[in-house]
Amino acid sequence: MKFLPLIWSGIWRKPGRTILIFLQVSVAFALFGVLQGLRTGVEHAVDAQRADLLLVHSREAFFYSLPLGLLEQIRSIPGVKVAVPVELSGGYYQKPENGGVGMVAVGTDGDWTAAFTFNIAPQYLAALVGSRTAALAQDLTAEKYGWKIGDHIPLVTRTPQKDGSTTWAFDLVGTFTDSDAGGGNSKILINFAYYDQARATETGTVNHFNVAVTDPRLAVPVADAIDRRFANSSHETKTESLRELAQVQVQRIGDLDFLIRAVVSAVLAALLFATATMMMQSVRERTPELAVLKTIGFTDRTVFLLILVEAVTVCVAAAAVGLALALIAFPFAARLVLGIAMPKVTIAIGLALAAAVALMSAAVPATRAARLRLASALAER
Amino acid sequence: MNFVRQSLALLRMNLEGERARIGSVLTIVIGVTCTVAVLVSMLAMGTGAHRQAVAGVRDDEVVIHSQGAQIVQSNISRDELVTVRDLPGIARDSDGQLEVNAEVMAPIEGRWRGTGRRVFFALFGTSDAKLEPPARLTDGRTFRPGLHEVIATNACVRQFDGFELGAKREVRGIDWPIVGHFDQGQSQQCVVLTDSETLMTAFGRNGYNQITVRLNAPSDYETFRRALEAKPSLHLEVKRQRDSVEERFKQFNGLLNFVSYFIGTIMAIGATFGAVNSLYSIVDARRRELATLRAIGFGGVAIVAATLVESMVLALPGALLGAALAWSFFHGMAVSPFGFSFQLDVTPHLAEIGIAWALMMGLIGGLLPALRAARVPVTTALRGT
Repeated sequence: MKFLPLIWSGIWRKPGRTILIFLQVSVAFALFGVLQGLRTGVEHAVDAQRADLLLVHSREAFFYSLPLGLLEQIRSIPGVKVAVPVELSGGYYQKPENGGVGMVAVGTDGDWTAAFTFNIAPQYLAALVGSRTAALAQDLTAEKYGWKIGDHIPLVTRTPQKDGSTTWAFDLVGTFTDSDAGGGNSKILINFAYYDQARATETGTVNHFNVAVTDPRLAVPVADAIDRRFANSSHETKTESLRELAQVQVQRIGDLDFLIRAVVSAVLAALLFATATMMMQSVRERTPELAVLKTIGFTDRTVFLLILVEAVTVCVAAAAVGLALALIAFPFAARLVLGIAMPKVTIAIGLALAAAVALMSAAVPATRAARLRLASALAER
Repeated sequence: MNFVRQSLALLRMNLEGERARIGSVLTIVIGVTCTVAVLVSMLAMGTGAHRQAVAGVRDDEVVIHSQGAQIVQSNISRDELVTVRDLPGIARDSDGQLEVNAEVMAPIEGRWRGTGRRVFFALFGTSDAKLEPPARLTDGRTFRPGLHEVIATNACVRQFDGFELGAKREVRGIDWPIVGHFDQGQSQQCVVLTDSETLMTAFGRNGYNQITVRLNAPSDYETFRRALEAKPSLHLEVKRQRDSVEERFKQFNGLLNFVSYFIGTIMAIGATFGAVNSLYSIVDARRRELATLRAIGFGGVAIVAATLVESMVLALPGALLGAALAWSFFHGMAVSPFGFSFQLDVTPHLAEIGIAWALMMGLIGGLLPALRAARVPVTTALRGT
């Protein structure tokens, strides 16, 4: 404790220099926090995905269609609580430049919502089931296009209806939210029964079936049982949980991972060199003062520790400020990757790295300070 | 003139003394090196992806899509194709056939070689089985219309499983053998081609995604476009191939450039703080020299100018080193960070951007230290030890 004032005065011996080093470390760790946070944030988002919701799709390719007839067979497999046919298509609203709106046609019988990550208010749920041309819009989608309940929404698609038109119109009866961040934020829910009957092509096929299991622990055996049931048939299936599908998504950005690591390494390398030079310079300038300290009885060890603690204090404090900045800036960066939060572990790693940078850059100057030869050091004055 | 002479004399003196302050100088150089290397490497992604996209573009070719649609949503009927073939200005090949290619795009799934990770890409149906330069067949033969046969680029074989000659791809319950391999210039992109009618039958499709038309000359574009727009039965729009590619690229490149410059700026700010620190200590070490110079009549402005130029000169080796590092490590490296592969392209233009960036850092970083250098109080500095 008695050394605190000494360390404090060491830090503020040259305020300009300390402030600049402080800012440099802060900026470096702000960048570190955002980049590293994106990396680990994505990993955490994958782990947060539900492993007990299964998607049954064609073994050939994820988006090839399966016949609707598989539904009853899937429902008969022990452990399957709910199985729902899902057909995906898409269109755009008014102008193609607006971006796409996904049309998710679902079979709305029984407890179908158990097999989805959607959150739908009971009155909206009833309204969707109650009318054939009803649609529910995801909250963000309704917000983007300014849709109100009761609106008639035409979407231009490439799926022809029986009358040849490729424009589909739905009545908006409510909104819903999706807790699965990977599911995008531009989609509407519609009735599969209506959609399948109204379209001119591909009637009686679906993209995949959503399956909820009776017991989360049964997810893997149930998935295997479904795939075994259709093995060697004309429609072989592949059943994967939402978490497994998310992992596939994340693996696509594998090279991005390398990039982030490269940038972070470059930042830390430059930082390490800058702090090391500054510490070296600082100790060199203080040679006479350190010599005086030793003359009045400070041991080599104490002097060594004084220098180290000084460096660690500045670096860790600056890193804390930088990481706090990253925490504030993170939501803006995270917009590029939907729905991830900055994991707390990033902050811990950042602070540890800051301490490591400080120790490495101060080690040589501190050793030099500890080994000062009193006579020559004092003679320099 | 006096001012310039003074500045130059000062600059020479400063630079000659740099060896004695190697630590501070290296801090500046390394900081700038890391910043420029990262900035140039990241920008090289956008440049590389763009170069690959426009590599096969011909100025006499135009592409036709449904009105307001991109290639994926576009749906062109057979009747529309017939009408398009009657439009004026279309070139004919050596056999007298119209150079009109109706293309279909269908999604297929592949697995990365080694990791077995799943990846989606497009299977293209084309009505033209001939390969045009720069594309050329390297192995096997091209596909035959009406048969379920595909040809794939050598990039597919390198990147994904199951694209060897004779391997069968299962698509819509049918086995499609790979009958040939081809290259598309330097492109790293996996492209799989088959006959468009065969592909449409397999997917139960009734429309094309895109029609590519070669005109007699690039200047025929306006005539062709007016003729196409004059047909009331066509709900199509035509674009020059180059414009279409650039349009698709704009958003992707915009995002990439934003991220590159954002990271580049933050790193530059950090490195500039380091440079300011180093320059302060360089100036401080020179207090007596500076005071002496002031005493014998050197102007403050000359000192400021000399210090600013010095700091820019110190930033320069970092810029060159950074660009060189980016070039030696990453130039030509094949990456696929966004689901498709391309080679990073470190161009002289990117090196110029890196150098400009470094000079900017030097200039901004040198401002405060230069002012301090000019304000050294003559009497105290000379009296002090």
